[in-house]
Amino acid sequence: MSARLEAQHLYKVFGRRPDEAVDRLRAGADREELRADGTTAAVIDASFTVEPGEIFVVMGLSGSGKSTLLRMLNGLLEPTAGTVSFDGQDLTALSDRELREVRAKKISMVFQHFALFPHRSVLENAAYGLAVQGVPRAERERRAGEALALCGLDGWAKSWPDELSGGMQQRVGLARALATDADLLLMDESFSALDPLIRRDMQDQLLQLQRTLKKTIVFITHDLNEAMRLGDRIAVMRDGRIVQTGSAEDILLRPATDYVASFIQDVDRSRVLTAGALMDTSVTADAPLCACETATSETPFVELCAISARLSHRVSVVDRANRVIGVIPRQRLVGFLGDETADPAPCDNPDGKATTHA
Amino acid sequence: MPRLHLGDWVDSGVDWLVNHLSWLFDAVKAVVEGMYNGINDVLTAPEPLLLAGILAVLAWWLRGLLGGVLAFAGFALIDSLDLWDRAMSTLSLVIVATVIALVISVPLGIWAARSKTVSAVVRPVLDLLQTMPSMVLLIPAILFFGMGVPAGVIATLIFALAPGVRMTELGIRQVDAELVEAAEAFGTTPRDTLLRVQLPLALPTIMAGVNQVIMLGLSMVVIAGMVGTGGLGGAVNEAIGQLDIGLGFEAGLGIVVLAIYLDRITGALGEQISPLGRRAAARARAAGDRRAWNHRPRPAVAVVGAVVLALVAGGMGVFGTSTGTAEASATDVGKGKEIKLGYIPWDEGIASTYLWKEILEQRGFDVTTTQYAAGPLYTGLATGQIDFQTDSWLPTTHAEYWKKYGKQLDDLGSWYGPTSLELTVPSYMKDVNSLEDLKNHASDLDGKIVGIEPSAGMMGLLKDKVLKEYGLENSYDVVDGSTPAMLAELKRAYAKKQPIVVTLWSPHWAYSEYDLKKLKDPKGAWGKGDGVHTLARKGFAEDNPEVGEWLRNFSMTEAQLTGLEAQIQKSGKGKEQDAVRTWLKQNPGLVDEWAPVGEGQSQAAG
Repeated sequence: MSARLEAQHLYKVFGRRPDEAVDRLRAGADREELRADGTTAAVIDASFTVEPGEIFVVMGLSGSGKSTLLRMLNGLLEPTAGTVSFDGQDLTALSDRELREVRAKKISMVFQHFALFPHRSVLENAAYGLAVQGVPRAERERRAGEALALCGLDGWAKSWPDELSGGMQQRVGLARALATDADLLLMDESFSALDPLIRRDMQDQLLQLQRTLKKTIVFITHDLNEAMRLGDRIAVMRDGRIVQTGSAEDILLRPATDYVASFIQDVDRSRVLTAGALMDTSVTADAPLCACETATSETPFVELCAISARLSHRVSVVDRANRVIGVIPRQRLVGFLGDETADPAPCDNPDGKATTHA
Repeated sequence: MPRLHLGDWVDSGVDWLVNHLSWLFDAVKAVVEGMYNGINDVLTAPEPLLLAGILAVLAWWLRGLLGGVLAFAGFALIDSLDLWDRAMSTLSLVIVATVIALVISVPLGIWAARSKTVSAVVRPVLDLLQTMPSMVLLIPAILFFGMGVPAGVIATLIFALAPGVRMTELGIRQVDAELVEAAEAFGTTPRDTLLRVQLPLALPTIMAGVNQVIMLGLSMVVIAGMVGTGGLGGAVNEAIGQLDIGLGFEAGLGIVVLAIYLDRITGALGEQISPLGRRAAARARAAGDRRAWNHRPRPAVAVVGAVVLALVAGGMGVFGTSTGTAEASATDVGKGKEIKLGYIPWDEGIASTYLWKEILEQRGFDVTTTQYAAGPLYTGLATGQIDFQTDSWLPTTHAEYWKKYGKQLDDLGSWYGPTSLELTVPSYMKDVNSLEDLKNHASDLDGKIVGIEPSAGMMGLLKDKVLKEYGLENSYDVVDGSTPAMLAELKRAYAKKQPIVVTLWSPHWAYSEYDLKKLKDPKGAWGKGDGVHTLARKGFAEDNPEVGEWLRNFSMTEAQLTGLEAQIQKSGKGKEQDAVRTWLKQNPGLVDEWAPVGEGQSQAAG
């Protein structure tokens, strides 16, 4: 069963007298003041909850503290203050030995540069977590083999990491994380080192796996497009603090700060927005009035445009019971693309048609 | 600045250690000696060529056919140079030193890699051990462990420790941090992280460290030879001491063969035992490098080959043991008892030492002779590592040593005298006849007096007294060196008729070889002539009453001594004892005169 992950008021300070630094931060000191004293506040007052089966993306530029945050979630780094609880257990209160137990069985991790052991074969790498737990060889090889198959690496078990391409190496990394049947998957910029095309493949594969496996995933990235593609919810970090948490559409449509707003400028909205975010919810009905094509709230923007082009009227958005939960006039589609939310201005030529010279 | 009496503190510290921790040193010594003897016995048990075969099979397995053939050729060369036993002794010493060094350095390196504090503490200590001139460490090593293998092993391993620690630390530290983190993220315990991830990945670097340890150990072997470890190092030292270029080259070549063999074998072994190395080798093989001289047998074949050779070797060892039976006769006083002689490579020392070796062997003793510098020789005598030595110039030349160690030594009397010390010039230097004349010839002579070993008593006398008496201390430098180097310099200058002034003493064969002139000493600065004394360790004469008696009564005339020296000179290095035998044949009856076994003696023996 998946379980819930909760972080409350996490602080991580590197350097001298960290506890004192946390007190100062709580009293409102900022990061720069501390840096002048030679202490680095990597994570400041981070709180969030990850629901079971959710992909929670932490997005931020390098130095924003996202990797530090991730490492506090499995106890690789001990929080200076705050608590992490997972599956009802307070990880910050565990002894080293208990913490290792949790890491071995319940939480696994996928790394940016794959971190495959070069002196072990692909199969041995995938079976590593099980070997640490002391699972007998036959069983761990069977389970590792299954995990490899799941990641599309059938037939590569006897190869060595250095014989594989980057994408395939990361599949091994993913298989290693999946082989232990851990409920929580921590992914640290796992696709950042890959070529764009392969990165897309991997994202697709992760989403596909997630559909069947329903793991709880915390995914770190600096790429907002990736965050939007993968994340059920996204936390944006800046200078050690979480500045906004919300769905992709929340972030895109309602940026909490100028920083987030500037961040999302480059995002290809058409890839992120879905009918649910665009529809005019003032219009609802028990069923569509016509038999024309309809959309669901998950229908992506690009497909929505295609549907709209084929219809002579607004696109109806329906739920599973085929009730209309909103409508999208073509005007809205064009407006969102152009970042224009205002209603159209009246025209002095009501027909609005250009005069043609015969 | 106040004078910091660091040296005195070290002195008293060493004394304290010798007095209070001797049980510890004895234990260490027993372990080292046990290991050394065990390994040496194994290495010297089989026929040389059989062992060479075993070593060659090892090389074949690890390096390929060419490596095997070359290894066999190298060891066969050592055997043909008559250096086999010495080479095996050196190999045993290096193996013991390496094993101990690794047992200490690898854990220390691991610890240093895991703790910054340890690393910070260990680093300067390693610097100290590695750069402190090795001779400085040798004398305390003798005091702690006595002359011989243990002192040599300890000095070698101290010197060789540093790369083992450093490379281990480096190897572990340079393992990709993400890999270590990955191991931790999957709940690996620190111990397993070390064993499953860090050590396997650090292994190539650690093996490079092992390789360095062995190479440094081998390079230290020559210096360790000075404390009587024997082996190739001892051979090199003897050769240097006697200016024997040929023997030196042969022994040096033996060291080179050992060094190359050990270097290549440990290198290949590193590849074999490290997973990464095996991986690389497998890839190279897959790439199709299958030429005949790279052929390598499978491990099983290699093991079978080595075992068969070893069994044959063992069999030979069993059936080929020498069956020397000690014959009980009137002249067999010693009954195989061991006596250890030490000597400084001065001509009268060599002559009298080998004379006594021959005499004592004829009387049934088992005699070993080892060459030392003067300092270690006296230390060895005082600590009882050496039984006696025949070349102590008293009361003047070796006065300092007598002052320091006299209480721990027995003087068995003078067997030759009086001697004289002098500065000597070739007789073609017409206007230099007396020490007083030197003052005006400083520029001809470049202001240089060619001296001998700085540890020699006469050098101290020359620098502290003679030069001052004649006001030469500002115009002349005494060049420290060695007796052979001085003689070589004399020979060179003599051949070119160049001006030269050397330190020399009488009796010396150089006076009959070249036309030389002793500089007069009108002020008597050199002092009265010495007698050449035999010194024994405390209690030697009581333990061996006959030998003590013989040595006390021993004396030689100038004719006898110069005659023997000339015979040895003629026979060449390495054949001293043959020369003694020849000379004794020409002078019959001397053995019985010097070591009588008659009625009275056999009573004493009883």
